[in-house]
Amino acid sequence: MGLATGALPFPALGSRAAVRRRVEYENSQEAKLVRRAQAGDEAAFREIVERYQSKVFSIIHGIIRQRNDIEDIAQQVFSKVYFSIRNFDFRSSLITWIYKITVNECFDYLRKKKVRKLVYESDLSEDEVRRVENTEPAIDRQVPVDQNLAQRDYVVKLLARVSEEERTLLMLKEIEGRSVEELAEMTGMNENTIKVKLFRARQKLVKAAQRLHRAPAVS
Amino acid sequence: MHQVILDRLEEYLAGTPSSREFTAHLESCPECRTEVSEMQDLSSALAALRSPEEFAPRAGFYARVSERIEQQRPRSLATLFWLDPVFGKRVVFASVMTLAVLGSYLITRETDYSGGPPNPEVVMAQQAPTQDPDVMLATLASYEP
Repeated sequence: MGLATGALPFPALGSRAAVRRRVEYENSQEAKLVRRAQAGDEAAFREIVERYQSKVFSIIHGIIRQRNDIEDIAQQVFSKVYFSIRNFDFRSSLITWIYKITVNECFDYLRKKKVRKLVYESDLSEDEVRRVENTEPAIDRQVPVDQNLAQRDYVVKLLARVSEEERTLLMLKEIEGRSVEELAEMTGMNENTIKVKLFRARQKLVKAAQRLHRAPAVS
Repeated sequence: MHQVILDRLEEYLAGTPSSREFTAHLESCPECRTEVSEMQDLSSALAALRSPEEFAPRAGFYARVSERIEQQRPRSLATLFWLDPVFGKRVVFASVMTLAVLGSYLITRETDYSGGPPNPEVVMAQQAPTQDPDVMLATLASYEP
């Protein structure tokens, strides 16, 4: 039996269901709130911040776990939302759009700061950090102090190797527990498109994981 | 990966009970089995990014967001001069220097025309052929309308 990977059905774009969902969304209360914010209504923007701030903080905390920086990243996320809300075109739901901005902001942050140091040391107490810093850095910092932290470091590395869209979809599916149907509703794409995109993203992750395992020890 | 697996992969990874067809294919196809198993491992690994607790911001978060927005708002030229006097001084200095260079150039060019533009009558007189008054008188005398 030949492999059917190359024969994936081409995702149908702009299906009737997707158009209907978009029309429904554009008439929703949330869309009205967005339009007010787009028109420069500060109260509407404030409502958006207050509605989604906890969600944004939780997403950042899941990826970064650096308590001191969570608020800073969250502020930057909402600042970006403020300056680009006029470009929001209702093709996805507002939370999907904010989710994407948040995840991108976290990955930008991790790129700027040295990922490894952050992930391994972020949850340690001050004493533990001091102990790690006082030991031989070339050896000890390569050993994950906590299995969960090592796992997160590994996942962050893998997710950094897929596109922004793939990363957002994978996170919404695996971390937020959204179904394919919900993702279709949130993104304005049809279910088949979502399945194909998720499958390709998963394939990339598998390949990235294989490359990572083949690479010599932890860099 | 085969279509029968592809169609139900997301449900399977989400823990939904799989169909008999799906399970039967997975048992008989080692390639699909390996690939699905790898994807399942990664699916579990992704759970590491789930925040273990609800996280709420400190009071006054919106005020701090507004402050940041104000800091990042594109500034008008007047605000730039007002908020950054050093920048303003530099712009003023550069403008004065440009005016000085342009002014000296114009003054230099002006001296080339120091006598003003030439009078057209003078030019015509200079260009007209010099005529003998006797010849002119003879011409007038022999003139017949």
